[in-house]
Formats: sequence, structure tokens, C-alpha cells
Amino acid sequence: MRYGLLLRRNLFRRRLRSLLTLGGLACAVALFATVESLNDGLEKALGGDQARRTLVVYRKNRYCPQTSHLPEYYAREISRLDGVSSVLPVKLFLNNCRTSLDMITFQGTPVETMLKQRRIELVSGDLARFEREPDAALVGRGFAARRGITVGENFRFSNVNVKVVGIFRAAESTEEEIILTHLEYLQRAGPVNRLGTVTQFDVLVDDPDRAGAVATAIDELFADSEEPTDTRPKIAFLESATRDLREILRFGRIFGLSCALVALALMGGTVVMGVQERYREFGAFRTIGYKARHIAGLVLGEAFLLAVLGAATGLGLATLLVAFGGIAVGVEGVQVAFSLTPMLFGKGLAMALICAGLAAAVPAWRAARIDVVQALRTI
Amino acid sequence: MSFIELSRVTKTYRRAGHVVSPLVEVDLVVEQGEFFVLLGPSGSGKSTLLNLLAGIDRVDSGRIVVGGRDLSALGPGALADWRAENVGYIFQQHNLVPVLTAYENVELPLGLLPLGRADRHERVALALEAVGLGDRHDHLPRQLSGGQEQRVAIARAIVADPPLLVADEPTGNLDADSADAVLTLLQRINRERGATIVMVTHDPRAARRGSRAMRLDKGSLRHFDHEEAGA
Repeated sequence: MRYGLLLRRNLFRRRLRSLLTLGGLACAVALFATVESLNDGLEKALGGDQARRTLVVYRKNRYCPQTSHLPEYYAREISRLDGVSSVLPVKLFLNNCRTSLDMITFQGTPVETMLKQRRIELVSGDLARFEREPDAALVGRGFAARRGITVGENFRFSNVNVKVVGIFRAAESTEEEIILTHLEYLQRAGPVNRLGTVTQFDVLVDDPDRAGAVATAIDELFADSEEPTDTRPKIAFLESATRDLREILRFGRIFGLSCALVALALMGGTVVMGVQERYREFGAFRTIGYKARHIAGLVLGEAFLLAVLGAATGLGLATLLVAFGGIAVGVEGVQVAFSLTPMLFGKGLAMALICAGLAAAVPAWRAARIDVVQALRTI
Repeated sequence: MSFIELSRVTKTYRRAGHVVSPLVEVDLVVEQGEFFVLLGPSGSGKSTLLNLLAGIDRVDSGRIVVGGRDLSALGPGALADWRAENVGYIFQQHNLVPVLTAYENVELPLGLLPLGRADRHERVALALEAVGLGDRHDHLPRQLSGGQEQRVAIARAIVADPPLLVADEPTGNLDADSADAVLTLLQRINRERGATIVMVTHDPRAARRGSRAMRLDKGSLRHFDHEEAGA
């Protein structure tokens, strides 16, 4: 039996209905993939190797980078503590402290220490020029792609105006969404000159298992100072910073599931109508010698073909949105990129196929069990 | 040599709460190569008998043997295989698949047989040629006249070269000229291919095209006399 031919032709038999179903399914898959891509991005952000070895020292009782100010000299004192491998003072400047779809994050650091501590690799540009020129900047490839930034351009936001001399990739996904500058340049360039202060310290410890003890030692060291600290493992810091985001994600997933149910109902309606109007045709097939399983195969095949086309369209839409939509969710200076992985494409396709299977199972079973004589009498 | 043997065949079914018995202990023998015509008023059970012969319905009691096979002994799967190889069914309303071309519709039964692409092509081309539609391969059913659609349906019924053709009011929906052409075609198929044909009709004039006719009424069969009927 030429299944492929019959399946294709039958989908085109009711073009508008097939297109509407395909469109609904594509929207559901696109939404599902986009929500899940944020979840994957979040997991990637929280799952980096380096995060296990890194502590973030923040100003106690401050929750936004714009209000956390710590003396830069803390770095020297922290580096003397037992178990500390290196300390990176970081000055953050960003456009929005709250949850945002278009966050701009500048990170000013001492260049030499930063290049030692962070695992970044230039994909284009000139590293020597970055080290040499105080207003030069390296842009994470995620941010560069979102904003269409290329090497040689100037990038300006508020009082900060930098020359882009390189685009980099990083081992930690959150770092690919930032702009790296010289520390002093950023300290001076912000709306308020805060030379000598930083937002946080990234502390690399020798042994990940001792991270908790080192964090306690740091906070005890500055407990009585004017600017007390709150030190947490980077993973805990990221988890805390992205708490709101995870709540939004949970809601998004419920929304995505609802859309999948709507798609299921839509597809179910299409399959049921398709079967009802073809009872007589199925009767003719059975008379010719086709078996019940052939008829069930036809019904299921059409649903699965619709699902594959809908999933492909939906995943294409999601890819376009993520690749060219210029969106990344940021909160409290931490940016999470939407991450479309092959696994996610598989999940999107599986979701569509499950919808198709559920929607078509009963109609296929009923079509397979038709009474041939009754079916041939159907008007 | 008998090709079809019905022995004490009874069939009843329920319709709107009433038990209807269109066939009561019917006996019938149809010879191989015969063009047998079954007449009778609407609701007399002609189509029921045809469906039993074609293996798409089951008897309540009695026995049907076609080409040496006892149909009551076959399970649903085996019966479907038997139909694919042995029966060509011509419907009153042709029942072509609207999204397939004439060629693809005729090719449908061959999808169930172990044939190569070239064999299938040759058989479909011959069948369409035999019904005079050799130049209509790529036409969809909606692009054909009623008579042409019925001829495509006949081509579909003969393409697998089955020994038995059953036709349920094949001219019921056609104008006089098209009906005449279809009956002439069935006669030719019967003569040239040697296929046994069982045709159901309520038209006595159509019945004259067969080699033998019987009338089914009130559950039993009796000989049909063309002269008596004035056909």
C-alpha cells in the first residue's frame, strides 16, 4: 500500500483544516520549546564546572548589583585566607536590576586576574589590544549575537562607551551574555564615580569540598567592618538570583502544558472529523482486502505526519525566536540564555508525536473496527 | 463445474428494533465462468447475498463455498487475504478514493499482492485500457463523468485478475448510454477473462445481459423468466 502517497494526499484533501491544526500544533510546540529552552539555559547556568569551585562575595543585605559596594582592598585580605586560590574583584554595571528580557551587563575586572581565573576564549578580535587599551571591551558571543555586535564597533549604554575589540566564548554560559571591561574604566565611567569599590568578589577555592568553610571565614573576617559581606557558593548565588525566574518558568511550563492540551484537542477534532467523513472509503478499502491494521495505520499515519510537520514548523519558529529574537532573560545581573539543544528538539518532536498518538488512538481503533457493510451504506 | 455453492444460508439482522430475515435457508449454485444476475425488489436481500459471497459479511447459519474455500471457516485476516486475491467488487457508487488519480485508484488492490513496480504498472495500464480509459491515468475522480468513474471502479475490480467479480447495482447511478457501456464491458470481461460474475440489479433489462438470472424475494430464490417479466 502506498501509505506515503495516501497520507500526503489526505492531508491536502482538507487543506484549510490541516493548516489550522498544523498552525495550532506549531504554536504549542514553539511555546513548549521556548519555555524549555529557558529551563535548559538555567540548568546550564547552574551546572558549570567552575561554579562548584567559585564563591561570590556580596555586600551583606544587598540584593541588587547597583547597591552592593565593597572596598576593592578586600581582595588582598581574602586572598590571604587558607584555601583561597585566587580572588577576582568585579564591578557590575547594568541597565536593570529586575527581571528583564534585554539586560545589558558590564563587568569590569582586573584584566590579568580575570584572564587567569575565567575560562574564556576569543572567537574573533585582538586580546592584546584589550589588555592594552583601557576603554576596550570583550563581548560574550551570546550578547554579540543578540545585539548584532561585531569587532571594531563602539558600544554605548548610559555613560559607558566602549570599543569592542573581541568576541569571546566562555565555559560558563552566563558569561557569554556580558561585556567585559577594565575595572578602573567601569569604576570611573558609571553615573557615580566609585573608584576603589567593586560590586562583588569571585573567589576561586582550591578544594570545592571546602567552599563552605572558606565562605564562613570570609564573612567572619569582615563581620565587624563597615561593609560586611555575604559569601555564598556561586551555585547558591545563581539559584538565589534566579528564584523569580524559576517561578516564571514554572508558570510558563503550566502555560505550555495547557497549549499542548489545546493542540491535543485540536488534533483530536481533526482526526475524528477526518475519520467520520471517510467511513465509506474505509469500507471500500476493507472490501478490496485491506485489513483492520492497514486502516488504523492510515489514521495514525496521518496524525503522525501532521505532528511531524507541526513539530518541525514549531521548532523552526522557536529557533528563529531564540536566534534572531534577541532575547535573554536576566535578573540581578545574572543572564540566562535560551538554549535550544538537540535534546530539546527531540522533546518537542516527542511532545507532538505523543499528542498525535493520544488524539488518533481511539479514532484509529474505531476506524479499524468498522462494520464493512454498514460503512458502505454510509452516505 | 460449480464455483459458488450456498447451502441452507440464513442471514438475519436487526433494523430499527425489528428482526429482518432477508435470506432463509437459501441454496444456490453458480458455475465457473457464469454471468449470474440476481434480481429483486429493494430490501429483498440481494446486496446481503452479494456481501456474503464477497466475504465482507458472515452467515448466521449454512455454508458458502467459493472456489473450493469454505468462507465460514476463515478468520477476519484470512478472509481479507482471500478477498484481495479472489474478489473484485464493483459498487453502485463506485467508491473511488477522491484524492487518488484513476491510475492510483486502480493500483490499490495490487498493493496487497507480492508484485514489483513494473508488474503493477503493466497490470494497471492493461486494466485501464480494457475499460477504455487508457488516456485518463492522471485524472482525479472529480474530473471524470459518472460512467467513466464506474469504469475506473471496474478496472480496479479486475486489475488483480480475480476469479470472482461481484457487482452491486453497477448501473444504478448511470444514464442509459453509460449503463449500456458498463454492461457491455462486464459481458466482455466475463467472456474474455473467464471471470465468474454475480451481478445484483433491479433492472430486468440489465438482467438480460447475464447468462442466468434468479429473483430473490421474501428470503428465497426462484428462477427469473425474462419473457414473463416482459423485459
